[in-house]
Amino acid sequence: MMSLLGKEPINLIITGVGGQGNILISRLLGQAFIEDGYAITIGETYGATQRGGSVASHVRISSEGMVYSPVTPRGKADVILGLEPSESLRILTAFGHPETFVATNTRPIYPLEVAAGEAEYPTRGTLSDLMTGLSRKTWYIDASAIALALGNALLTNIVMTGALIGTGLLPLKRAKIERLIRESFSDERQVVNLHAFDLGYDAVAG
Amino acid sequence: MGIDMDKPGSTQLLMGNEAIARGALEAGIGVAAAYPGTPSSEVIGTLAEVARKYGLYVEWSINEKVALEVAAAASLSGVRAITAMKQNGLNVAFDFLANVALTGTNKGLVLMVGDDPGGLSSTNEQDSRHIARILDLPLLEPATFQEAKDMTKWAFQLSEEISNVCILRSVTRISHGRGKVILGDLPSMEKWAYFDTSKSYAGIAGLATRYHKSIHENQGSIADLYGSTPFNSYSGPERPDLLVVTCGSGWLYATEAVKTLSLEQRVGVLKIGTTWPLPTQFLQQHLAGIDRILVVEEVDPFLETNLKEFVVDRMAGHSYRFFGKASGHIPPYGEINVDSAIDALNNIMSIGYRPREEAYEQKCREAAQHVPPRGLQFCAGCPHRATYWAIKDALRMAGGNGVVAGDIGCYTMGIQATGFSQVKTVHAMGSGMGLASGLGKLEQFHFEQPVLAMCGDSTFFHAAIPALLNAVHNEADVVLVIVDNGGTAMTGFQPHPGVDRDAGGEIRPEINIEKLCESLGIAVTVVDPYDIEATRNAFLEVLENRGKARVVMSRRECALIRAGKRLDPIARVRVDGSKCYGDNCGCNRYCTRIFRCPGLIWDRETLTAKIDEAVCSGCGVCVSICPQSAIVGETA
Amino acid sequence: MNECKAWEELRDGVIEENLCTYCGACTGMCPYLVPYKGRIIIRDQCSLDNGRCRAFCPRVGVDLTHVHNSMFGSSYESGDIGVVKDVFISRAADPKILSAGQYGGVVTALGVTALEEGMVDSVVATDSQDKCAPFGAITSRRADLFGCAGSSYVAAATVDAFNRAVREEHRHNLAVVCTPCQSLALANMTSSDLAEKNNMGKLKLVIGLFCTWALSYESFGLFLMEKVDPHDVVKVDIPPPPAETFDVYTRTAGRLSLPLSDVRPFIREACTYCIDMTAEFTDVSVGAAEGIDGWNTVIVRSERGLELIDKAVKRGHIKIETLPEKNLNHLKDASRMKKKRALKNICRKTGSRNDLLYLRNCPTAMQILLEEE
Repeated sequence: MMSLLGKEPINLIITGVGGQGNILISRLLGQAFIEDGYAITIGETYGATQRGGSVASHVRISSEGMVYSPVTPRGKADVILGLEPSESLRILTAFGHPETFVATNTRPIYPLEVAAGEAEYPTRGTLSDLMTGLSRKTWYIDASAIALALGNALLTNIVMTGALIGTGLLPLKRAKIERLIRESFSDERQVVNLHAFDLGYDAVAG
Repeated sequence: MGIDMDKPGSTQLLMGNEAIARGALEAGIGVAAAYPGTPSSEVIGTLAEVARKYGLYVEWSINEKVALEVAAAASLSGVRAITAMKQNGLNVAFDFLANVALTGTNKGLVLMVGDDPGGLSSTNEQDSRHIARILDLPLLEPATFQEAKDMTKWAFQLSEEISNVCILRSVTRISHGRGKVILGDLPSMEKWAYFDTSKSYAGIAGLATRYHKSIHENQGSIADLYGSTPFNSYSGPERPDLLVVTCGSGWLYATEAVKTLSLEQRVGVLKIGTTWPLPTQFLQQHLAGIDRILVVEEVDPFLETNLKEFVVDRMAGHSYRFFGKASGHIPPYGEINVDSAIDALNNIMSIGYRPREEAYEQKCREAAQHVPPRGLQFCAGCPHRATYWAIKDALRMAGGNGVVAGDIGCYTMGIQATGFSQVKTVHAMGSGMGLASGLGKLEQFHFEQPVLAMCGDSTFFHAAIPALLNAVHNEADVVLVIVDNGGTAMTGFQPHPGVDRDAGGEIRPEINIEKLCESLGIAVTVVDPYDIEATRNAFLEVLENRGKARVVMSRRECALIRAGKRLDPIARVRVDGSKCYGDNCGCNRYCTRIFRCPGLIWDRETLTAKIDEAVCSGCGVCVSICPQSAIVGETA
Repeated sequence: MNECKAWEELRDGVIEENLCTYCGACTGMCPYLVPYKGRIIIRDQCSLDNGRCRAFCPRVGVDLTHVHNSMFGSSYESGDIGVVKDVFISRAADPKILSAGQYGGVVTALGVTALEEGMVDSVVATDSQDKCAPFGAITSRRADLFGCAGSSYVAAATVDAFNRAVREEHRHNLAVVCTPCQSLALANMTSSDLAEKNNMGKLKLVIGLFCTWALSYESFGLFLMEKVDPHDVVKVDIPPPPAETFDVYTRTAGRLSLPLSDVRPFIREACTYCIDMTAEFTDVSVGAAEGIDGWNTVIVRSERGLELIDKAVKRGHIKIETLPEKNLNHLKDASRMKKKRALKNICRKTGSRNDLLYLRNCPTAMQILLEEE
């Protein structure tokens, strides 16, 4: 299995559209790494809007205790976790390199410019050609469909977290994330979130 | 996770602003007051959450000046206090700051300012550090999350030692980044406030020079106090080819750039945590024997210019070549990052580093062409969209090319397509009303355009009131549109004097904006922007009634507050596919192209409009804009 | 395709040039253009460059030859009162109609006939009960037609109402009561390439009204408001020469006679470029019978018009009498005078006899009229 264990630093970028909940993922993973003794720096990039704009969380993981810049330098992303496919491509073109791994949700959230007919949204084929061509490996997960099948589109972020752990790229134990999910959600929300995590995990590792 | 853990020595993942709040808690503050402003809001927001537990008084003040005054009152009465503001806010507080800096303080008073390099959430990217120099106040710049906490705690000590305000300058990347912080001890809680009436803090005419002399002469002792602080440090070879002098987030960028380029053996990094006044002995020690200096810092060449002055005054006999913003090696505007530092070092040291192979770079450039833009927009169901829609229609119908003066808040986006490009001016808090007041007095110069000023409920209290009174008194021909969405939405729904709660959630008397306006003799028209036709007609009527200041209160709760309360949608909205003619309709995609709610999307298969159920908030406003009545809203 | 968007051409070439008659041909079809208080408001920017708004607007440019040919199967002549199949004077038989009407009540009687005979299911007319703010109304009932009787002399966007009515699925056959500019717009729309897109086939009957000019909404409204309460006004009238007055009849204070010269400044500039007095592009046109109080002059222009008159007479809704030769000649002179005056005004505006603005596509007929000057 491919793993980034031992790389210094490991640069993970979680990207999506405002409101998709990528900050929850970065905090969850950040907590997991802190508990394992890593030094973590997380930077969030977003516009002035609460919702609907491009957002990215840069998680920089150091086993040497280094504090890195909260924003990843050009061409230094090791893993990109995308909650929206065109945002995955946006981050890949800015921060990717030929060895970058990508795990992306496949369901688009169309920008207003596309609905207004002012811009084109790339087809699924174009998106996957481009991402596969620019990455070492890209996993495509229909996370929104999985989340909707569980009854809530907002579970997409947890499905994608499961997918990320399922890739085996990060030196994190599945059980630890499951524990943190249990701690993060109220009793009645735990079951469905853990289920979402498992389905995401299986979509990649299964 | 959280700042309130009584676990000294434990490691937490904290946001920079949370780390600052924790530092204040460890310093034993009693009072925290602020007006929210990105990227500073979480400092006081976090303290508000633990106020009860730790016996603090925390308030969201009406504006930054009052916040600083409230904090200073605690200091003068023997209780440590902190205030936090963004760079624009410091301008509001500056008048009081410039005077309290002369009269001095008693217990520790720390002013945290969150600068916003690149103006990511601001109208400007002003560098606040100049103000520390203007006022001869100590200035600290944390470079890490740990330092954010530790420096804050130290800042209170410094403040007390010099009996003056200590400024802590953070930037967006520190304030909003998260990282590892090892917690310290929390002091005991009980504090006693008492204003010692044997002392005076009065800055009256005739005393200014005496005060100024004393504070100026104090500069040397501040530099001495900096002494051997660990916040100033050097790492690198004994005789570096190049010395990078840096502060704040610049240090993160410089060290990472040195590491990325493997320059550890050639380049030294001098980190300055105390950027005003400059730490004399520390600098003298590290600048001796150096030829070339690169300064890496956010926004203005503050450290760079001061260093140049320093070497002239203090490093006689040495000569230096400076690289930085003046030389063009570091951008003198906009936000910098690791790449800025890499580019500068790459250039100065002639390394020939490139982050990616050209072939891959080319592929990325081509692929990026396929990524659609994703511009700023009002949320689905945002009442501001509806208000601007009504304003747009009313101004077109009234004719005369009306002018809309904007202000600071989510509704600033009225300058863009999401607000139908209605807003033509945006400056400081409350400036929309001030400009409008002036525009409304140009009649004698043949000015006939209708004038509207926008302001949010929170902005109204912050700075629009004096401008409104000015317009009333001078009979300026203006309409003030107060977009009241029930909180300070843009910065995270902090309460303001118009809300019945305070920062800690305690019930407080709310100030009714209509009654306030009506007591001034202003005609107030209250509208619900979700009823866009009635709102438009109200605007038309108010626009016709020219001659003095009028107020339209466009009141509707923020869609995010509503969503947060998990209330049912007002309407279940859908597009009746049999009625939507798509591109065959004469409407030319009116809903998606003009109205532009993110809940309305274009179905590429059916070539008709569609509601994105995952996004739609169910406000029902779009139902009334479809000329075919194809958008149907069923009352939920 | 044109370089500028349709709405930009309307704004720059018609509205801002004061050529807009406020007929409403460009509105009622989309959300972008709306008639409001005598002005066409451009609410938002449409990105289409071949919209109906421009295609239908007679003031962007109208090919009178083409329009006349499509409607009457003959060329447009420079003449006086247009195509005439019959001309006479008439008045409504029903005293209720007669009293509501401006002169002889014939228009209302013809509308009632068309509905009763099933020739149409809906009539679009101008509701002038608010004398300052008339608007296009869609009616299907006899009683509602009464509300549209009487004139206000203020321009109304009646074609806007037609454009809304043709979209309604339950309306199949429409009649429109309209002024000359509106009838020209309807004829232009019917002969347009985009006619089908606007369901112009539903337009079955056009009843024209003679018109010399119309007043502009806002300025006249303000002027009138200074004299009377507009809601108190029941009728306005311009008595035949040499009275030279503008008579306002109020419910409470009776008649107020204003000098016509006080009212003239409020005439829409667009009206001064109009070459049509008798509504030449209609099935039947109706106006005052000067010097014959309580009677209308009626010009029948089409077979459809003859059929309508025939049915109205048979149902006893109208009475008809011969129009004295002297009156006919007078009508012709007045009509020809309006044409010449309009052309003179156009040439004065453009500064050239070769630039005839919206009439530039009909040079022959216009040159004949210009030669007479």
